[in-house]
Amino acid sequence: MPPARTLRETQVWMVGAITGAEADAPRADLERFITPGPRMTASERFDIYRSGYHARLVECLLDDYPVLAVMLGDDQFGLLCRAYVDRHPSTSPNLNAFGRHMAALCREVQLEGEGAEGFDAVRVFASELATLEWALIEVLHAECPPPLEVAALQSVAPDAWVRARFIRSDALRLFHFEYPVNAVFIANRIEEIIPEVPERAPNAVAVYRKDMQLWRMDLTPAMMGIVEPLVLGKSLGEALAAIEESVTDPELLVQTSANLMVWFREWVDAGFFTRIEIDEA
Amino acid sequence: MNRFSLPNLGIGLGLRTVHYAHILEHAPAVDWFEILSENYMQTKGRPLHFLDRVAERYPIAMHGVSLSIGSTDPLDRPYLTELKALRDRTKARWVSDHLCWTGVAGKNTHDLLPLPYTEESLRHVAARVRQVQDILEAPLALENPSTYIEHAGNTMTEWEFLARLTEEADCGLLLDVNNIYVSAFNHGFDAQQYLSAIPFERVVQLHVSGHTNHGTHIVDTHIGPVIDPVWELLGQAYRATGASILLEWDAEIPSFEETHADALRARDFLVKAPS
Repeated sequence: MPPARTLRETQVWMVGAITGAEADAPRADLERFITPGPRMTASERFDIYRSGYHARLVECLLDDYPVLAVMLGDDQFGLLCRAYVDRHPSTSPNLNAFGRHMAALCREVQLEGEGAEGFDAVRVFASELATLEWALIEVLHAECPPPLEVAALQSVAPDAWVRARFIRSDALRLFHFEYPVNAVFIANRIEEIIPEVPERAPNAVAVYRKDMQLWRMDLTPAMMGIVEPLVLGKSLGEALAAIEESVTDPELLVQTSANLMVWFREWVDAGFFTRIEIDEA
Repeated sequence: MNRFSLPNLGIGLGLRTVHYAHILEHAPAVDWFEILSENYMQTKGRPLHFLDRVAERYPIAMHGVSLSIGSTDPLDRPYLTELKALRDRTKARWVSDHLCWTGVAGKNTHDLLPLPYTEESLRHVAARVRQVQDILEAPLALENPSTYIEHAGNTMTEWEFLARLTEEADCGLLLDVNNIYVSAFNHGFDAQQYLSAIPFERVVQLHVSGHTNHGTHIVDTHIGPVIDPVWELLGQAYRATGASILLEWDAEIPSFEETHADALRARDFLVKAPS
């Protein structure tokens, strides 16, 4: 019989041996506390749990980040995942939110690969790609109340528009990116093009869910200039005032005033907003 | 009929994402579906939307993997609250999980880790099962796990532990015949001895599935068609319990029709004597 250990001691030891580095699981302990099987030693039997632990979590990350995985390749993505699992072990009953730290980790670890602008570019691009892929997961799990109907826009009196606040859907995320990650994402998903670090080209993307489908929409600077403050809770009047104050390119203002209603219809149709509230005059 | 008067729902399937579209479009004649509870927890989005549609048409039973009934960490109250809410939402006929623990000190391995089968473990798990049943206000069914190690400190067999646990905690049993087969191979015990020790009146559901045989050991992968020796164990267990049957297929999942056809093979083994 092995020396008596409490259930708690047994469990703490086992989790350490399963999740820790090889050196943390001394073979002598395994042979003492685990019996050999008909065809395997105690260590061989225990390794089924050790390898299963990492394989299970890496598989989860692969499901969450399919394009990042293709970009980095099997070896580098495997190393990244191993670092992820060590730094961010699961503490939740399910794995829905397990991969949420990937974008941050991509900026912290050394990633190999010569992109158009060198190693830092690889890290930043990988992080942005991870941000986009994680947004799809978040939006999938977000609450999505019935969207605002286009007809609701017509019910707003002309003089009330500047006082209108558009309540955003929880299933909407807006991003400013330094690299065209959405284009790279699409090229991989549709044409199976292996992602490489593209030329830097600042852009904006909306990620959202409509009718249970996940979507992404590229936003021009003028569109982002309006929709971002609205999503942050500003009234339309406040958003327009902010864009007038901040833009140095008069063309942006021309674009905005010419297209505002078209954009609104598009955003409402996409389910960006759930309702309109009109401030007191 | 089991002692909890839970009905025999027939032959069911595990509800899997890849089959959502087929199920909602074709409404296939499946007796019932088992859901993996955690897939519909900590989400307010698409998974619940599909689940609601399925639950409108089919009886549902809930099967969890993260209750961690054997852990020495405190019971996860928010998890149990959400589990109960999901049960109420789906009108699930019963809730099950595994005789195992999944982590400790806040860390979840997401694996079904085997307990030492000792008096201490028995007291610990029985007390926690009673607490969970108080919270759920319904019997909990625990599944016999497939295991790859045995603790040197075991003072009883798994089947002895299960029989005593279900009695002391007054809980149900989800009997997985593939797990019996897998563990019997891995540890070198007799599956018939295991089966004969089961308190059949406590079995509310039967599980059957495929597995992966590596020669030195079998892993409970829930891949592939069920092999005949496992079907024969299912037939024996069914004749003794009359419980609902569920086919699990969790990886390399084929079309819905193929999965369902494999589940219906159970019929061939329910009445005939084992070969």
